[in-house]
Amino acid sequence: MALPAASKAYMLLGVCVPSLKQGASKFKVKRLELDVNLNMYFSKHEFLYAHDPTKLCKTGDIVLIEQLPQKLTRLITHKVKEVIYPLGDTTCPITGKKVVASKYRDHIEQVNKIYGERQNVFKYDEAPPRGWQEDKKDFSHVETYPKYHEDGSEQPYSV
Amino acid sequence: MNKIFSTRVERDLVGLIIRTYAFKSDLKIKWVRPEKIPCYKPHHSGDLVSMPSINKNQYLLEFSKSKELETANDYVKRLFTLEFNPNKCTQKLYIKQNTDKIKRHEYDGASIEVKLARWTGYIRAWQEIMERFPYNKRVKVNLKELIEKRKKHLRYLRKWDYKKFEWILEELNIVYKPSPTDPIPVTRKWSLEKLTDRYCEGIKQERLQELRLMFEREQPAFLEEKIRSLEFIRDEQKECGVEVTVTQQEIDSVKEKLDKLKLKKLEVED
Repeated sequence: MALPAASKAYMLLGVCVPSLKQGASKFKVKRLELDVNLNMYFSKHEFLYAHDPTKLCKTGDIVLIEQLPQKLTRLITHKVKEVIYPLGDTTCPITGKKVVASKYRDHIEQVNKIYGERQNVFKYDEAPPRGWQEDKKDFSHVETYPKYHEDGSEQPYSV
Repeated sequence: MNKIFSTRVERDLVGLIIRTYAFKSDLKIKWVRPEKIPCYKPHHSGDLVSMPSINKNQYLLEFSKSKELETANDYVKRLFTLEFNPNKCTQKLYIKQNTDKIKRHEYDGASIEVKLARWTGYIRAWQEIMERFPYNKRVKVNLKELIEKRKKHLRYLRKWDYKKFEWILEELNIVYKPSPTDPIPVTRKWSLEKLTDRYCEGIKQERLQELRLMFEREQPAFLEEKIRSLEFIRDEQKECGVEVTVTQQEIDSVKEKLDKLKLKKLEVED
């Protein structure tokens, strides 16, 4: 084994994944494991829970997590330090401008102005922060499951 | 190799001790298989509204601003309305109305919001056709593919621009649910396992709640006893001339806690 297990490292970069735990978030951490027979590295994913009382991170965010000096519970071994890359709100590391896929937001707005921007167009400054559609129209913050039982109750997380 | 060998032995031992094959649960759990919903229905596509009824007395989209039609006679005018033209003309008008609502500028025809609005228009129009002609396979295939395409692009948009993604869901009235991570077909065995897990979890929560209530009922008596004990210890220590370890502050904090509990109880009773 070339690297120690992810849970033993002091600080880690993980992707937040859907979890129903309150006061904590679940993270997927990618590590490379050496196969001594092939002398090749293969990616291996580990799942960790980090203490996050204010629910700072949302599903898909890339977050820096730090190991706790003592385990909080049987599962919670880390705490959230900083959200590095929030999902769907990318900033260009060179210019510091906001980016949408491969274009700057400023450029898109300038093009719209040249063509004549309309009144009810989407505006980033007026848009509420991420999460206002949670449990209403956006169910990507939870793990969905195939509907397996009909008991008359509403099952919003079933597909 | 040793590891594999040991696990196999353990499994064999478990098999010898506990009979796991042909096991039937004693629990009275009734499983109702959910009804299969076709993939093109709004339940799966996530459309919260269907195509509205459109006034058929309107002119065709191409002739809506025609000056010649204004001076034409009534028969000609009627021939250029949606009523005397194929259904696709109505669909075209509906899609135009859909895209006009959210396009960025007058010449916008390729932005992601316009694309999604256009596909949503087609999906709703075709869903209405499928309601009338459930055996129309060509529409069924196109509809399924378009629903999946829209979902794929919503997934991309969520990654690139979350704020716009949420705005589009609101504007177009769509529900976005990601696919399950491990989509497995619903079987009786798997469903019963899930239901049994749920049942056991329910029992666990119920008992924990009972225990919690029991402790809460005992709390006032316990606190009174604690106050008595603390006072007794303090008096004894004073009488014996030893260092007093119990402070008045400690006793007061317990008394305060007790008062709060009593107040809370009164509020609940009211």
